[in-house]
Amino acid sequence: MRIFKRIALLALAAALSLTAFSGCGDSENYGRDVIRLRWVTFSNSVPPDVKEVVKKANEYSAEKIGVVVDLEFQPSEMINLIMASGEYYDIIFTCSWLNNYNIAASRGMFYDITDIVQTASPELYKVIGEYWDAAELNGRYYGVPTLKDMGAEMMFRLNSTYYEEQKGMTIPESMKFEEIEPFLEVYKKDNPTKYPLAMDKSGIAGMTNFLEKIVGDYIVIPYEAETPEVMPIWENEEFMKRVRLLHKWYQLGYINPDAAAMENSAVAKDTPVRAGVAWRGYTGYSDPANWGFNVKLSLYDGPFISKSTEQGGMFAISAGCDQKHAEASLKYLELLNTDRTFRDILGYGIEGKHFKYLPNGTVMKTEEGSSGYQPSLFTTGPVTNASVLSISEDYLSDPDLWPKVFAGYKEYGIWSKAHGFIYDTKRKEDIVATLSAIWLNYYTDLITGTSDPDTVIPKMKSEMEKAGLNELMDDVKSELANHLAKYN
Amino acid sequence: MEKEPRPEKKHASLSGANKKENRQLNLMTLPTVIWYALFCYLPLFGIFFAFKNFTPVPGDSLVENLFVNSEWVGLQNFSYLFRNPQSVSVITNTLIYNAVFLVTGIVIPVTLAILLSEVHQKKFQGFVQMSLVLPYFISWVIVGYCVYGFLSTDTGLFNSVIKYFGGDPVQWYQSPQYWRTILIVLGIWKSTGYTLIIYLCSITTIDRTLYESAALDGAGFFQRVRYITLPHLRPTIATLFILGIGSLLNSDFGLFYQVPMDSGALTEVTQTLDVYVYKSLMVNANFSYSAAAAFLQSFVGCILLVISNMVIRRLDRDSALL
Repeated sequence: MRIFKRIALLALAAALSLTAFSGCGDSENYGRDVIRLRWVTFSNSVPPDVKEVVKKANEYSAEKIGVVVDLEFQPSEMINLIMASGEYYDIIFTCSWLNNYNIAASRGMFYDITDIVQTASPELYKVIGEYWDAAELNGRYYGVPTLKDMGAEMMFRLNSTYYEEQKGMTIPESMKFEEIEPFLEVYKKDNPTKYPLAMDKSGIAGMTNFLEKIVGDYIVIPYEAETPEVMPIWENEEFMKRVRLLHKWYQLGYINPDAAAMENSAVAKDTPVRAGVAWRGYTGYSDPANWGFNVKLSLYDGPFISKSTEQGGMFAISAGCDQKHAEASLKYLELLNTDRTFRDILGYGIEGKHFKYLPNGTVMKTEEGSSGYQPSLFTTGPVTNASVLSISEDYLSDPDLWPKVFAGYKEYGIWSKAHGFIYDTKRKEDIVATLSAIWLNYYTDLITGTSDPDTVIPKMKSEMEKAGLNELMDDVKSELANHLAKYN
Repeated sequence: MEKEPRPEKKHASLSGANKKENRQLNLMTLPTVIWYALFCYLPLFGIFFAFKNFTPVPGDSLVENLFVNSEWVGLQNFSYLFRNPQSVSVITNTLIYNAVFLVTGIVIPVTLAILLSEVHQKKFQGFVQMSLVLPYFISWVIVGYCVYGFLSTDTGLFNSVIKYFGGDPVQWYQSPQYWRTILIVLGIWKSTGYTLIIYLCSITTIDRTLYESAALDGAGFFQRVRYITLPHLRPTIATLFILGIGSLLNSDFGLFYQVPMDSGALTEVTQTLDVYVYKSLMVNANFSYSAAAAFLQSFVGCILLVISNMVIRRLDRDSALL
């Protein structure tokens, strides 16, 4: 019987084990022995020219460090699946909002790089500097933070041609959330059939980022509180104020009536008020040639900085790697963090085809680049080491933007006081699964103003309580207390 | 009721020619057998996912991860399915829609098939058949957007008509009261053509001389349907019915999630078991939880299938599957 079992197991293993990765044997292509890595990163769509770009990058990295990659762009569900099934990879995208770094690292899914990072990749260790804190877990490092915008800054993007030139209004550098109302009102009066705050089901970008998300989007810690206190989102007054305002705007016709049913980015281009999450000096929202009018940004929240925002993008190495592959992965990440030419290839594509360098040191995408290779910059490596993107030759960006942005965080950043508290949802997984389903039933209607928060939230609250909200809250609270005790 | 005698079992050995023919027939079934073995029986070990807390160790094989690295948790993985106060409505939704589709999925295609078989103009028959089958091949995502074209609050066709006649526009995606009807109509619209073909085929196999002699004897249209067509269709109806019962807890995810555009206000009438499972596991991909849901669906389906098959065998032995 035992033998039979073993044979059956072996047969199953043979039939099912995933085809192993190829370790080496690329010497004929690159003129030397190279290590090949499977690098999985995040993107909802695969750039059409990715093969060509990666080939170019591989030629470069093979010569410099003898490492090449198979770069895969995978959507979030696939990344979760790869992690959940224990599939083999060398480098994978991880962060606070997808493939949660802290949870995966604490379960031993990622390679502990603490002891090898300084010897295998000393330059990388230097470049990341104080931001290694973002990757710290019980005194060890399990991933490499991606240097990018480290805090969340939320802004409105307004049509300044209309508001400032035609209407004589002033768009301030920053405003409170509710101060957008007069802008909406003016536009609606002029265009009764249009929607000044047209949106899709994802709502106003970053509207709830002033809260640190602890479980899903519904259990949060507000940034402004002196002592961090965890609460369901509806107990936060600012949140309630915002969803009530949204509902008022919805009823006044400022928001399109089917917003809650609209899939991403189906909103009319001439919408005069949009929202975005970026950083000071970001020009990607403002190209007049693209929009047909001038765009001015007005900050309404932030920058909020917590461990979770610092973990906005990271790369980790599989715990299943041997040391050779782990060191090669670190060398590769080091090259991305230190070699701008190499970084620009993976970030923007092939020079002359996908992008070109402008005289002031920034880069501009060509038409072919905009259609052929357009992954989000942070998914292919550090943003700070890539050249800054200019929208057009007439609308140049500041080539030395990043040191200023980072200095800005120190100057006016709103820092979390929760000391990087993370709740492991595995502790109450069935409750979290249930609550998530309930939350999703109400969330889109709330953030698009479609439903009246004062009738919907009590209903949602009572459903969530029946599903075990209080049990979960108690556990989160005691975990938070335990966590904070370490720092007092 | 007269009982038919069971056919006697033949023990006589097969002749050589017969044996050879059998071997050929067996050989022909081989690809299907292999397909079933690989894709239906081999993955059955995945049932273990439903009873284990699946925690993979990177680099280990799937089998090792499942059998060695993961611990048994009994029925824990099922609890999230019943924790939700909406669970009752989720299950009743699933059952109600399936019951409706089960009945309409027989009545409508059978009626249409009978009517269509009476049409003697071949071109017209083909045209009707084609246009009924066409929706079957359109993906739900596309159907969803077409429906949005009708139901959009400010630009939709329905509201334009309502406004033209001076009525107040309806916020369709916020009004759950209409959606049971909308979903059922769409479900029927999409599936009818496909089942229709199956019934139409069975009707064409009925011996035409039966109808001729019935007509000579003075049987009208309804009598011919009642005494010839329906009795001949009985085994087909029974088969499709039993198969339908087997998936009573399953639902068409596209119909219930894509078509209502996942609108939160419609949840009470659109949330079926599959939609609920999808929503619960959006945040954490948990293999064990989804395996538990799938196991529950198949388990209940299997039991219902066996019971309904037994009942049908009681009523009419020839129509049962086993």
